[in-house]
Amino acid sequence: MSDDNGLWLLALGPTGATALYWALYRYYRNTDKSHAFERETAVDAQPVTGSDRKVDEIKGTRASRISGENGRAYRTRVQRVRGDTG
Amino acid sequence: MSDPKTPAPAAPVTGPGSPQDVPPLPGSQPIDPATLPRSIRDELEAPDPAAIDTASAELKDGINRCPKCGSTEIRHKPGTDLLVCLYCRNEWDGARVEEAFGLGEGLRDLRGTVIASGARDIAADAASLMSFKCTACGAEVTINTESTMTARCHWCRHVFGINEQIANGAVPDAVLPFHIRKDDAVARIRQFVDKRRMFALKAFKEQFTPENVVGVYLPYMIVDGNAGADIAGKGEIKTREYTRGTGNDKKTYYDADIYQIERHVDFTVDDLPLESSAERGDLDTRVNTNNIINTILPFDTKNAVKWNASYLVGFTSEKRNRDVEHLRPRLEDQLLSIARAQVESSTSRYDRGVRWEQERLQVHGTRWVSMYLPVWLYSYHQPGRNGGLLHYIAVNGRTGETMGSVPVQQWKLLTAALTVGTFIEGIVLWILAASS
Repeated sequence: MSDDNGLWLLALGPTGATALYWALYRYYRNTDKSHAFERETAVDAQPVTGSDRKVDEIKGTRASRISGENGRAYRTRVQRVRGDTG
Repeated sequence: MSDPKTPAPAAPVTGPGSPQDVPPLPGSQPIDPATLPRSIRDELEAPDPAAIDTASAELKDGINRCPKCGSTEIRHKPGTDLLVCLYCRNEWDGARVEEAFGLGEGLRDLRGTVIASGARDIAADAASLMSFKCTACGAEVTINTESTMTARCHWCRHVFGINEQIANGAVPDAVLPFHIRKDDAVARIRQFVDKRRMFALKAFKEQFTPENVVGVYLPYMIVDGNAGADIAGKGEIKTREYTRGTGNDKKTYYDADIYQIERHVDFTVDDLPLESSAERGDLDTRVNTNNIINTILPFDTKNAVKWNASYLVGFTSEKRNRDVEHLRPRLEDQLLSIARAQVESSTSRYDRGVRWEQERLQVHGTRWVSMYLPVWLYSYHQPGRNGGLLHYIAVNGRTGETMGSVPVQQWKLLTAALTVGTFIEGIVLWILAASS
């Protein structure tokens, strides 16, 4: 093992303490809970339509995911385009 | 200095354009709309907001009588949707609003804003104290609609209920009666807290009396919607993964294709519940625990029955103080979230993930119905800065779903966390010492 890895291991103690604190705090106070309306509402959707167009490519990035990923963060609002509302 | 300007002339008292004119025929326009620009014409010709009238004329005088014997001693029979007469034991059922007003149908054809009569805007001058003249003896009975919807005439002992849809928002279109009994709710709360005792606040544990749970009817707007959403963003597909360098300098690199993605989905939602009280709708977990009550949603709102104040005998209620327009931003936010959840499965090929950048919502139509939904609430007030914090433990009065906020004993929690952290650190140090 190299010195690098050893120093990294030292952070485990504080990380573990913080993680335990937050896990227990949430279990008692449930501050992260709310109505999961995305799943629990009766939604009748038509088939999704759309288009996919290749616009660019990247070479040699070190990031394993797209930056600013929000595909699953349904409740994070992005720029709202106001158009002709029906 | 005095204002040299003269006041604007008052509206003409006689002649054209004054109330002295013969009123035009209903639906007629002074100018033929066909000659106007399209946008103005659309506004002029738009239909009035359609309303569903849910008021019950037979209960208007405030006295709910047993249809068989005429007694007003009516209670909700626990565990059912039935009303029972305590005098002659007659039992009867409230009409389900779903069928009575056709609330489950035609979602796809929903256009504009349809508001049921109990969900109409609250008049600014409407008082929450309602005074009734007892139709049996003539005495005046006052009901504070902030928290109660029934009262007993202190002279002739008749039971009153507020059934008229007054403009203060207290009378909804429908009510969903309690199904979960009190003992059941107490047991659920006890079970919930029993699993959270070790780090709970000492005072909370000492004062814990789940028998003090109260049944509350909380105000909600149940919204059906017909909407479409367009979402656009970028997605990336990995084309190559490779490492460069050797030894400790080894680093992983990726090549990827970037795609511009556009998605469109049309959908309808059925019975989305929104808190129609400003206090309950505020879900800021730093100052309140209303998110607990939000979590026990949804209810089986399909089974809601037509409003009858007799369902509320023995329970308290909270009054609605939010109108349809106040709740619209929240509805649009939730519709957008639903749309994003709907399109997620269509982007599974983007293995490096998706970044949505723009979204647009078109709400074609909405239908709003106000309802009282049953919640068993246990509360504990934790003293502290800014008035402390009110912790709720809530049980859904229909499904029994339980959620709560149990105050924590901070020093205990910190000690436990530090102990575990020290223990892990000890192991790490031991490993490091052994490997060097």
